[in-house]
Amino acid sequence: MRPPSQGAQILGSILVALAIAAIAIAVVTAHFGPTSHAELEAREERVDRRLDAREERAERREERREDAAER
Amino acid sequence: MDDLIESLTRGNVTEVKVVLATVILALAIYQLALAAISYGKVRPRFLQSGPATWVHRASGDTVLVLAVLVAIACVSFYGFEDGGAHAVFGCLVLAALAAKVLAVRIGGSSSPLLPWIGIALFALFAATWLTSAGDFLGVG
Repeated sequence: MRPPSQGAQILGSILVALAIAAIAIAVVTAHFGPTSHAELEAREERVDRRLDAREERAERREERREDAAER
Repeated sequence: MDDLIESLTRGNVTEVKVVLATVILALAIYQLALAAISYGKVRPRFLQSGPATWVHRASGDTVLVLAVLVAIACVSFYGFEDGGAHAVFGCLVLAALAAKVLAVRIGGSSSPLLPWIGIALFALFAATWLTSAGDFLGVG
């Protein structure tokens, strides 16, 4: 089998280099997690909502405990 | 300079530096493979020595530009004071890059020094990455 032409070899090698760079960027960016502003805001909102719900539950529990103690 | 870097990276100086440094290291590994083909140490059927040399040079030029950009961002934003081993390896990388360019300009592409400078350069790139980006990513 004949090897590909020199132009094709160069083009193929450059495409491999680009693919390597793209994969490196994708892997490291994935390691950092979401970077878009909207996504980060949504995540912050979810965390806030979860914290609020936890606080509310703790307050309700405290109230119930106080009621039980009064009785 | 600080403000320019900060605005170009939208405040994510470290993250951008880590991404670029990782791209440089990945391309440096590819450079080793291309150099091995270029010197005839490895002979794949799909890539001959000539095209491998051409792409090695083109990719090397890209790595050089990226490395200088990362170095400028690193020195102007973080400075030398807290750099430690990373700062030393970074300076040695730039020295090795300069030596490689000089070796090509003076001795031509057949200079016997080139493979050794290339291997040293790769080792220094790896050490620089491990003491900064690798550390940041939890690898180093």
